[in-house]
Amino acid sequence: MLRFWKERFKRGIVTENIEIDKELETLRKNLKDKIKKLFAGSLGIRMVDSGSCNACETECNALSNPYYDLERLGIHFVASPRHADVLFVSGVMTMNMYHHVWDAYNQVPNPKWVITLGDCTKDLGIFEKTYAIKGIDLKVDYHIPGCPPTPKDIIKGLIEFLEKIETESKN
Amino acid sequence: MRLIARFARENKDNFEIIDVFEQEIKKTQIDKKNPSVKTITDIYPAAIWMERKIKDEFGINFEDSFDERPLIKHEKFPKNIYPMRKNFTQKNIEFSEFEPYQYEEVKGEGVFYVPVGPIHAGIIEPGHFQFSQAGEDMLHIEVRHFYKYRAIEKMCENKTPLEIKKIVERISGNESIAYQICFFDILHQASEIEQSETYKRKTAILLEMERIINHLNDLGFIPNDTGFSPALAFMSQLAEDARRVLAKVTGHRFGFGAINEEMNYDFKPVFEFLNYLEEKMNFFENWIIDIPSLWDRFDTTGTLTKEKAVKYGVVGVGARSSGIKIDRRDNEWYKLHGFEIQLGKKGEVSDRFLQRIKEIKNSIEIIRNCKINNENKKIEFNYFKDGEYYSFTESSIGELFMYINIKNGLIDRFYVRDPSHINWQAFHTCIYKDIIADFPLINKSFDLSYAGNDL
Repeated sequence: MLRFWKERFKRGIVTENIEIDKELETLRKNLKDKIKKLFAGSLGIRMVDSGSCNACETECNALSNPYYDLERLGIHFVASPRHADVLFVSGVMTMNMYHHVWDAYNQVPNPKWVITLGDCTKDLGIFEKTYAIKGIDLKVDYHIPGCPPTPKDIIKGLIEFLEKIETESKN
Repeated sequence: MRLIARFARENKDNFEIIDVFEQEIKKTQIDKKNPSVKTITDIYPAAIWMERKIKDEFGINFEDSFDERPLIKHEKFPKNIYPMRKNFTQKNIEFSEFEPYQYEEVKGEGVFYVPVGPIHAGIIEPGHFQFSQAGEDMLHIEVRHFYKYRAIEKMCENKTPLEIKKIVERISGNESIAYQICFFDILHQASEIEQSETYKRKTAILLEMERIINHLNDLGFIPNDTGFSPALAFMSQLAEDARRVLAKVTGHRFGFGAINEEMNYDFKPVFEFLNYLEEKMNFFENWIIDIPSLWDRFDTTGTLTKEKAVKYGVVGVGARSSGIKIDRRDNEWYKLHGFEIQLGKKGEVSDRFLQRIKEIKNSIEIIRNCKINNENKKIEFNYFKDGEYYSFTESSIGELFMYINIKNGLIDRFYVRDPSHINWQAFHTCIYKDIIADFPLINKSFDLSYAGNDL
């Protein structure tokens, strides 16, 4: 274990302020303030896969790695829709997942928002409509494009989403 | 004789069942009016999902089958339609009456059931597990999938081979490169082009990179499921490094579209990354071996015995860690480039964990031996000859099998057997000695795909 701590101190903090961090630096305070104001300091996201290829999920998992470390901004992926403010949906919404996705949606307490992730959620991306695909018919508040969207795209998307709902709340 | 796949296709006058074994391929013709054939599940238990799938898709009956429940047709899926038949061209079907699914359960006093999924607590794909429990002990588990069934096989029909390229890339994000290599192998066969040495080396590098990324992720997630999160922090960082290298070379973090006719890549970032990776892996190995509480959880957990693995025809890391020599890279070309088959002994979680470390080291070796000179030749697919084509690739999960039948220049039947399709079925055999808290650990140690399995 000692060996690990040695390495740990040698390496220091790796959290990158990625490329967007120049923007982020100014945005970050705003973002934290916004989350503080709108979501009492913590924004809970429940991710539901409605029939993707797993790339979108892998990228969301990557958001927790030391480079991105999303939790530092007060954004958490939660284990139950009942703990969530936002529902992330990825994939084409298959026949077999349809009712389960709606079930998860109904379990999210109000007020709630839906963010779709990846090209599949919009016009199925490169896939074609088959009998096994129903397509997403939830009311979508924000869409993050990409196949799959990179962690950077997702963070940017979240910032824009927060800006959007803030302006809406002002009006 | 190991069973690789069993699937059906429709001809003009009959149905045909194709059994792919390791040594041979058998075909059985079936009458269209009363489609029925004998089951092979008494010898090959892993054929049961394949047979149930065929039954759902084509309406072919399997005599003496021990399980006749629908597989891809879930509770609200209309039961009387057979969507893979040629005369079924509907793009939309309505939900039918809810018909409950009968789970396999162990009954008895004090036995209770724990359903998990399809939506899990973490960020993972949907699938369902039903445990029969006596206290903490797992008595039985039924794995139920196909929530993500998108009908990819039907989607690919009646298209030209090149038209389905983008779909093939996105069947399973984790194995995208393996799928593309399999697909391009068939394209090469169909247009009677020999794969050049440079092409082989380039695809090998990309395939090994994909394997490295997936193994790195697993090496973090497995300890994390025992509560040891520093390993996840360390490994997810390394996996991100590797993914960025892949993105730098191919322009995509998952290598979508990485295998194409041109493949004019500069592999320098990969070679530079290898030294860094090796150094980190050595550190990781020394460090992780030293943590007794971790190995206390790993050892004797999730034992997949060699006997059971052979019976179910298990492939990939799961098979090799139980001491079975199955690896599609086990051929002259790969051996010449430094491939050595890595084997475990007991098939426990610890074996599968160490297996991944060994395989990463071997992948580093293979990539180093794939020196690329600057020669770059564009592949030109001028025509695709009609016929049946079979291809195999060793993805990071295990042996991937793809079948394409081209008729009049269009795809008549597209079939894929993901390694997960077999391995998921052997899953229930390796949990009996363990408690339910060990399940996430066992599940992650196999790291199977849902999207590839469900298609």
